[in-house]
Amino acid sequence: MTVCRSIVRVSAVLLVSAALSLAQSPTASKPVQTFPSDLVKAGESFFVQQCAFCHGRDTGGGEDGPDLTRSKLVADDVNGNQIGPVVRNGRNNMPRFSVTEQDLAALGAFIHTQKNLAESQNGKRKGVDVTDLATGSVEKGKQYFSGAGGCARCHSPTGDLAGVATRNAGLKLFQRLMYPRGAKARMTVTLPSGETVTGTRAYVDEFTVALRDESGRYRSWPLAKVSVRVDDPAEAHVDLLAKYTDDDIHNLMAYLLTLK
Amino acid sequence: MKLSHHLLWLTASTLFAQGTTPDMLLKPPKDSWPAYHGDYSGRRHSALTQINPQNVGGLTLAWAYQTGANAQIKASPILVDGVIYFSTPDNVYAVDARSGHQVWHYTYPPNKGFHIGSRGVSMYGEWLYFMTPDAHLVCLNAKDGTVRWNVAVADSQRGYWTSMSPLIVRNHVLVGVSGDFDNLTGFIKSVDPETGKTQWRWDSTPPSGTPNATTGGMTWMTGTYDPESDTVFWGTGNPTPVLNGDNRPGDDPDTCSIVAIDPNTGKKKWAFQPSPHDTHDWDAVEIPVLVNADFHGAPRKMLMQASRNGYFFVLDRLTGESLVTTPFGPVNWSSGLDQKRQPIPNPAKNPAQDGRLVAPDEGGLTNYRSPSFDPKTGLFIVSAHPSYGIYFTKPADGTFGWAGADYGVWGKGVLQAIDYQTGKTVWTHELGPNSAGAGVLTTESGLLFTGDAQGSVLALRTSDGKTLWHAGQGQSMQSSPITYELDGRQYVLTSGGGVMFAWALPE
Repeated sequence: MTVCRSIVRVSAVLLVSAALSLAQSPTASKPVQTFPSDLVKAGESFFVQQCAFCHGRDTGGGEDGPDLTRSKLVADDVNGNQIGPVVRNGRNNMPRFSVTEQDLAALGAFIHTQKNLAESQNGKRKGVDVTDLATGSVEKGKQYFSGAGGCARCHSPTGDLAGVATRNAGLKLFQRLMYPRGAKARMTVTLPSGETVTGTRAYVDEFTVALRDESGRYRSWPLAKVSVRVDDPAEAHVDLLAKYTDDDIHNLMAYLLTLK
Repeated sequence: MKLSHHLLWLTASTLFAQGTTPDMLLKPPKDSWPAYHGDYSGRRHSALTQINPQNVGGLTLAWAYQTGANAQIKASPILVDGVIYFSTPDNVYAVDARSGHQVWHYTYPPNKGFHIGSRGVSMYGEWLYFMTPDAHLVCLNAKDGTVRWNVAVADSQRGYWTSMSPLIVRNHVLVGVSGDFDNLTGFIKSVDPETGKTQWRWDSTPPSGTPNATTGGMTWMTGTYDPESDTVFWGTGNPTPVLNGDNRPGDDPDTCSIVAIDPNTGKKKWAFQPSPHDTHDWDAVEIPVLVNADFHGAPRKMLMQASRNGYFFVLDRLTGESLVTTPFGPVNWSSGLDQKRQPIPNPAKNPAQDGRLVAPDEGGLTNYRSPSFDPKTGLFIVSAHPSYGIYFTKPADGTFGWAGADYGVWGKGVLQAIDYQTGKTVWTHELGPNSAGAGVLTTESGLLFTGDAQGSVLALRTSDGKTLWHAGQGQSMQSSPITYELDGRQYVLTSGGGVMFAWALPE
């Protein structure tokens, strides 16, 4: 529940790019990673103290933290190359942790071992499966998309959403259809001189605004001294949250699952 | 001149240093903040006025104390005899309230409990009381941090842990426990401050294994106390299993509840349940704030809570009767109110195999950091988190512990000022993406202090929420601010990450 929020936006962007690249890597063919039992035990000890409240003692999910046994990032991790940066930088609501290489090796050993264990539980596995989410009506979802939901005003099944179900695994797709965390917002800042600067929103609080301009440079200004126009496509999703029925989101999910 | 003033104080402090007394806890002097909430009421309101709306723009850093550790400070510091005491998991720090100089630092031995936070230490006389991740209560000598005694309050091997700051009422050290990942009984325990022996224990739920009965009802936040009626008010947490309620039919009494307890015996006087039959982890442990004021023209002794489930409650604290029950943000899980004006859960919003979209999310519309009540304006000010989450459960998730999965979808931080007589929000102040979570302090001069989502500490005008001062702390505040006056200078204490900041007007 507690957080390190200052890194949310940057890490969210990293997350999206990581998720996209991971979606393309065939994880099923990877060999099962095994570890010495004392390393796993050391990892469990660290995990229970620092991680278990959010991710569950068995790594299968706890208070708001994701099920790591189903995490694509974990699936793609080799020797902490994926897990390490997230632990050290935090992301979304996750705080950052200072860990030694030894801690990290132990953590990775425990998490991968738990993942192997979870995957061996055929038919009785806890957590959210793609099949759990496929309860809606494709036809009604399509109607909602083009009609009441207003989705078609911004999205197209043959344009930006072509292949969306391939790019996003089940639960990730479900979450992103409700709110596309990390979606980029365009921003135009007008300076006191009248000059305008456009780019991607990098930071906004009550006092400071920043963007990354077309060259990739980070630029910030006191909010009180400039005028700002933001085009944030994710905002329309927030407005819908209060309007959705549970049927609406399941029907939409069923429809999006057809866009492979 | 300055030197002689300083010497005078040194003499005075040497003569009168004595830790806390029952009188001090009842009426904290302005040079102290002797308990979690400051006073017993939980209003987190100070009579200090040196820093006011006219001069707060000049507020500056008096000192910063760096723990140098990973752990974020989630503790509300206490201040007695010029020394500040606060904690992080396994650590207690004593720091000079004038300079930020470390007096001592105590480290508890390594242990396997959940190290999710430590809300602070408590003081009785010259003894400190500190709760540990492995569910022990440690009594320390406030002078040097040496251990006087150490007792287990619950069995950490079974899944209990502790993180709260005990409530001291006369010679009772009242402690609560945490433990959502196993089907465990929640309880409040009263401990003898001298010996560590248990005086009484009140269980919120029956023993694990009782047919058709719930477990849970953890007691993980500091309660409040009304000396006049000699009653302690305490919030209890969610029932377990958490997201699957099938094996615990009915309301699951005394979970997600506000309970009134006799501090002498541990007997319950009444209970009010913000979330009957909870399946969303909405602990009702948020501070039960005690206010004596007019309610629609007649004087009332009230208890107010902005609850994690999204409802604002005003209760008559003598009877537990609800005077106001109303949502203070997006709430979509209730189908109405019962006869006691408790929300009725809508079964259609229980976690399900294909997921249910629920407002608020599991973190709730607010969480454990303190709200504040400002008597002058009658405003109850709370850091809110309008949000939506998705909740799952299926047979394979079982009926033990968490028993499902939930994920936040969207949320933001908003400071809200609520008129307690109507429950209506008078003003709002946006605090940024996800949630801010910092506690709120109000002062008699018409100021409030809190933090935003990105790491700024803010001073706002209480009457309308206008920003009058701010400073970046590098990390967001995960604690509740306090204030005190020493040597004629008012300080405001805030934290960011592992650093404690003291703010004051320039000397």
